[in-house]
Amino acid sequence: MTKEDKFIAIIQENQRLIFKVTTIYTNNNVDQQDLYQDIVYQLWKSYDSFRNESKRSTWMYRVALNTALTRIKSNKKNPKGITIDKVVLQQTEHYDPQFEERLKLLYEQIQQLNVLEKGIMLLLLEGKKYDEIAEIVGISVTNVGTRVSRIKKKLKNNIQNK
Amino acid sequence: MDLEEMQLVWSKMDQELENQKKITNKIILKMTQERYANKFRKIAIYESLGAFVCFVAGLYLLLNFYKLDVWYLIACGVLSILYLFVMPFLVLRPLYSIKNIKIDKNSFSETLRIFLNSKKQLLLVQRIGVFTNIMAVLFILPTFGKILKNKDFFTQLDGVTFYLSIAFVFVLMTVVSKWGYKCYKNISNAAENILKEIDDVDPEA
Repeated sequence: MTKEDKFIAIIQENQRLIFKVTTIYTNNNVDQQDLYQDIVYQLWKSYDSFRNESKRSTWMYRVALNTALTRIKSNKKNPKGITIDKVVLQQTEHYDPQFEERLKLLYEQIQQLNVLEKGIMLLLLEGKKYDEIAEIVGISVTNVGTRVSRIKKKLKNNIQNK
Repeated sequence: MDLEEMQLVWSKMDQELENQKKITNKIILKMTQERYANKFRKIAIYESLGAFVCFVAGLYLLLNFYKLDVWYLIACGVLSILYLFVMPFLVLRPLYSIKNIKIDKNSFSETLRIFLNSKKQLLLVQRIGVFTNIMAVLFILPTFGKILKNKDFFTQLDGVTFYLSIAFVFVLMTVVSKWGYKCYKNISNAAENILKEIDDVDPEA
């Protein structure tokens, strides 16, 4: 198996991870596709330096989140708030209006968070444990806990304010 | 929607995504090649080209500096040289610090810190640039006028044209700088808040 084959297999296996990061950090389809390509490219570039020192998913999240962060884009060109229809739902095969509504609500909640909280929220939703979140984000485990409770509080306030 | 409910929706979305058509190997290979539009790289290339042009112009001024024979033209010449050498450096520095982030090694919070600091710096430079770019017209024109055409901008222009151009530059400067300041303030406040939050959450980081 060549290096390219191995890399392709990793990307195939982790497509959903990349996709989900792109949905959190973009507002429209074009940006999302751009970011997706950017992440794959950055993963390929850093593939040689990845020597299984950390878990593969940690490396992938780190590259994906850092790539999303360092992309320069003009917020003015894009509408505020996520256009869910473009980002997620068109790509699902089983159309369920009720689920759509809940998904839309979920993304609206995530959009209320700042860039750091979005990253933590994503990892939390992905079912990551606090120690892995701490490793990816670069803060201590205790502070992940503090941050998560603040996110919860923020979400609760958002709901109450609606 | 609380966190637990959000996790349920997220996991259902994950299952839906699993059912989707997977991207082909060919597309993945294409993505690994440098054919995609890297917006940051584009900006860095344009800014570097701009810096090169400024550097050449600055060098040209230095070589012809002896042609500036009156004190105010010498002052304009010094300001022009400073502007042409310093401004590009100030713009390129934060851009390259973002570009040099180790995307696979730095943690998210480290990247966020570098990114936000560079962004703030870049915006500050752009804000300063709004003033200096317009002011630059006032000292670059006389300098190049003297060096290229041997004309003294201040004494050889008729009064009306001179005052009209000064008035135009200042009106433009006020409008653009007000707008620039507003943008800078909003973005830099947002960046400041996030930076404060990182430090607040993790004082030892």
